[in-house]
Amino acid sequence: MTESMEFKEKRLANGLDLIGEVNESAKSAAVGFFVRTGSRDETEQINGASHFLEHMLFKGTERLDAFEVNKAFDGTGAQFNAFTSEENTVYYAAVLPEYVIEVTKLWIELMRPALREEDFGIEKNVIKEEIAMYKDTPSFDVMDRCRTLHFGSHPCGNSVLGSEKSIDGLTVEQMRDYFARRYVPANIMFACAGNLDWDQICSTLEEACLKWQGCVTGRKLEHFQGSKKKERIERSNLVCEHICLISPCVSFQDNARFAASLLSIIIGDSVGSRFFWELVDKAIAEAATMQYSPMDGTGVMYSYIRCSSKNVSKVFDIVGDIFHSLSAEGITQEELQKAKNKVLSALVIKNELPMGRLVDLGFNWIYLKEYRTIEDDIEAVKAVNIDEVNSLIKQFKPGDFTQFTIGPASNG
Amino acid sequence: MGEHLDKHTLKNGMIILGEPMEAVKSVAFNFMLPAGAAVLAEGFCGAGNVIADWIFRGAGNKNSRQLNDALDGLGIHRAESIGSSHITIGAVLESDNLAQALDLYADIIQKPRLEKDQFELAKQLAIEEVHALDDEPRHKVMLKLREQFYPHPLGRSTFGNLDELKNLTAEKTQEIVKNNFNLSQTIFSVAGKYDFNAVCRQMEEKFETRNSKFEIPTPPAFGPGESAYGHIDEDCAQVHIGIMTGTVTPASNDYYNMRMAVSVLSGGMSARLFTEVREKRGLCYAIGARYHGLKDAAGIMCYAGTTPDKAQETLDCVISEFNRLGEGIGEEEIERAKVGLKSVLILQSESSSSRAGSIGYDYYMLGRVRSLDEINDKIESTFVDSVLDFLRKNKFKDFTVVTIGPKELTTR
Repeated sequence: MTESMEFKEKRLANGLDLIGEVNESAKSAAVGFFVRTGSRDETEQINGASHFLEHMLFKGTERLDAFEVNKAFDGTGAQFNAFTSEENTVYYAAVLPEYVIEVTKLWIELMRPALREEDFGIEKNVIKEEIAMYKDTPSFDVMDRCRTLHFGSHPCGNSVLGSEKSIDGLTVEQMRDYFARRYVPANIMFACAGNLDWDQICSTLEEACLKWQGCVTGRKLEHFQGSKKKERIERSNLVCEHICLISPCVSFQDNARFAASLLSIIIGDSVGSRFFWELVDKAIAEAATMQYSPMDGTGVMYSYIRCSSKNVSKVFDIVGDIFHSLSAEGITQEELQKAKNKVLSALVIKNELPMGRLVDLGFNWIYLKEYRTIEDDIEAVKAVNIDEVNSLIKQFKPGDFTQFTIGPASNG
Repeated sequence: MGEHLDKHTLKNGMIILGEPMEAVKSVAFNFMLPAGAAVLAEGFCGAGNVIADWIFRGAGNKNSRQLNDALDGLGIHRAESIGSSHITIGAVLESDNLAQALDLYADIIQKPRLEKDQFELAKQLAIEEVHALDDEPRHKVMLKLREQFYPHPLGRSTFGNLDELKNLTAEKTQEIVKNNFNLSQTIFSVAGKYDFNAVCRQMEEKFETRNSKFEIPTPPAFGPGESAYGHIDEDCAQVHIGIMTGTVTPASNDYYNMRMAVSVLSGGMSARLFTEVREKRGLCYAIGARYHGLKDAAGIMCYAGTTPDKAQETLDCVISEFNRLGEGIGEEEIERAKVGLKSVLILQSESSSSRAGSIGYDYYMLGRVRSLDEINDKIESTFVDSVLDFLRKNKFKDFTVVTIGPKELTTR
C-alpha cells in the first residue's frame, strides 16, 4: 500500500500549508480544507458561530449562490460535506480523479464566502432544527452536556452547536468578524490524498489562495483536569438511562496518545472489552463503550452507557469495580495484545480509502505539523508496552470522572 | 471496470462469491443466512436479534470468552445485521488472518453452543434494544414506517416485538437456528485480498454437506400499497416524519429509471428535496429520500425531522415534490444524477466490506452479480424521457406516513 505513496508539502508565502499523499493506484482521491477553529475559539456571545459558519460556506460567494454551489458539487459526483468540532472545521470531498481540480477550485472559492444576510436568516432556522434534532438524540445530548460539565470554564466546554438562545442572538456582523479573524491563511491547511496530480493541484491553490490575507490568531492551550461534577436531568419521554463519563487524558501532541487509544479499547471497545464482559455480556447495560478523544493541548476519555433505570446503581457499582481493579492491578499482556490487533486492523482498513487517509493525514499535520506514514502509526501502536498503559491509568485516574446522566423521571 | 467475479457452489449448495481487489490488504466476508425477520413464523418477531447475539456466546470447543478472545485476537471487526430476508454475519480483517477467521465462523454458524443461561442474557439484551429504540425517534419512525408500508410480514421489525420477545424460549429459538441456518440457501461473499481456491477448499472442508430439510417460507407477494397514516404521540423536540410510497423491485426493467428519479428527488444537495425543503424554506436540517428494495416489494422512503410548527408545511412540501417529479425533469438534473450514481459506484468499489455486501445482495436479489460496467451502461442508457415515462406509468398514488412527536398531522 505505502510503497506507492509519496508525500508532498508546500507552504505558500502567506502561510497557507498544502500537503498531499499521492497514491496512483487508488481509484479515487480526497481533498479537504482543515481550519483550526471550533467552539473552543468562541466567546459565550457567539457560541455556535463556528458550526453556523460551516453551514454558511455552502451558501455561496459573490459569484455563486447556494443552488449554484450545490449544482457544481453534484456535477462532479463528489461525496462532499463538512464537520465542526470543538477545535476544527473540516471541509472535504471524495471524488474521482478526473474531477479533483474542479472540486478543489470549488472549495477554494467557497473559503471566501459572501455571508449574505438573507442566507444567514434562512440558515438560522436550519441550525435551530439541528439543535432540536440532537435534543431528540439523548446519546448525543448526554455527551455534549457532560463535556460542558467536565470542562466548566475551560473553552473546550463550549457546545459546538450553540444553544437556541445563542443562535438567535448571533448577528451576521459577528459572524463576518469571526470569519475574518479565524479563516486566515496561517490558520488553514489544505490536504489531499489518493490518485491526483500534485503539481497541478499545487499551482491551482497557489494561484487562487496567495491573495488570502490576515494575521495569525492564536489559541490559548491549557490542560484541564475536569470538574469531576455529577449531574442528572430528567425527560418524561425517555425510557432508558443515558450515562456519560468523562475523565482527562493526554493530548494529541503527546506520544502517549497511542497508549491512550489502546487503553480505551481495553476498557470500552464495543466487544471484548472490560465494559463488554462486565456490563453488556451480562445484559446489565445494553451499550457501554469508551472512546479516547485527543485534542489540542488536552484530551479526554468519553464513556457512554445505556441501561434500564432499574440497573443504574448496579452499573455504577460495576464501573467502579472495573476502574478500581485497573488502578490496583493494571491491564494484562493479553488485553494489550488483543487491543493492538484491533487497532492495527482498523488502521489498515480505514487507510485503504483515500477519504480515510485524508483525515489522518490532515489531523497529524494540524496537531503535529508532521507527516506520518501508515507504517509510522503501525510501528507506534506495536511499540506500546504494558507499563506505558498502566502509567496512564495512574496518572489520569479514569475512575475519577465527571458524570452526566439523562433519564426518565424517577419514581416518587 | 476490470473487476473479476469468482463463483463456486459447495456440495451442500452454499453459493460462494468473490471479488478480488488488488489495491487492498484487507478482506471482508458475509454469510447471508435465510433467517430474516420476514421468514420467521408468527410470534417470533425479534428472534433474529437474539440469535445474532446468542451464536457468538460459545461455539465448537470454545466457550463465550474463548470464542470472543479468538475473534479479537485476529483483529476482526464484526458486523451482524438483521434484514427482512436474512441475518447477515459479516467481518472485515487483515487478509493474513482469513483462514483462521473462517474456521471460527464455521463453528459459529454450524456449532453454536446455544446454552440456556446464555440465551436469557441474549434475550434480555434484545429486549433492552427495543426499549432503547424508544429513545431514538429518528430511527424508530423509519422502522414503524416499514412495518406499516409493507404487507405483513415483509416489514416486520428487525428489532423485535416486546411481547413476542418476552415469550421467546430457548427451545424454540434453537429450532429456528437449526431450521433456518440452511446452508443450501446461504450465500457467502468475500471481497478484497484472498485466494479463491484456498477459500473454496476450506469452505468445502469446514461446512457440512448435510442440509436442513426445512423449507424457508416465501414471504407473500406484494399487494397493492395502502395509503395510511400512523402517529405516535411523544413529547419530543421535533416531529419525526417518515413517508413511503411503492415502486419497482431491484429485478425490474425499470430499476435504473427509478433510481434516476430518486436521485433527481434526493441524490445530492442540488436535488429537489434538499433545495425546496431545506435551502429555500429552512424547514429541516435532516431531509432525504432513498430507495428501499426487498425482493418482492419496494418503496421510496423519506425522512424529515422538524419542529412542530413547521411539521405540516414540511409534509405537504415533501409530498408535492414527489408529485411534481412526473411533471418534468431537466437534462441537467439527469446528468447530475448520472454522474452521482456512477461516482458512488467507483468510490464504493475501493472498500472490501462494501463490495462483499454488494455482490451478496445482487446474487440474492437477481440470481447473479452485476458487473460495474453493466451498471454503468444501464445508468448511461437512461434519459429524461425514459425516466418521465417510468414516472407516468408508475404514478406516486399512495403515501404511507408515520410521525412521532408532539403533533399529529393531516394527510390529504
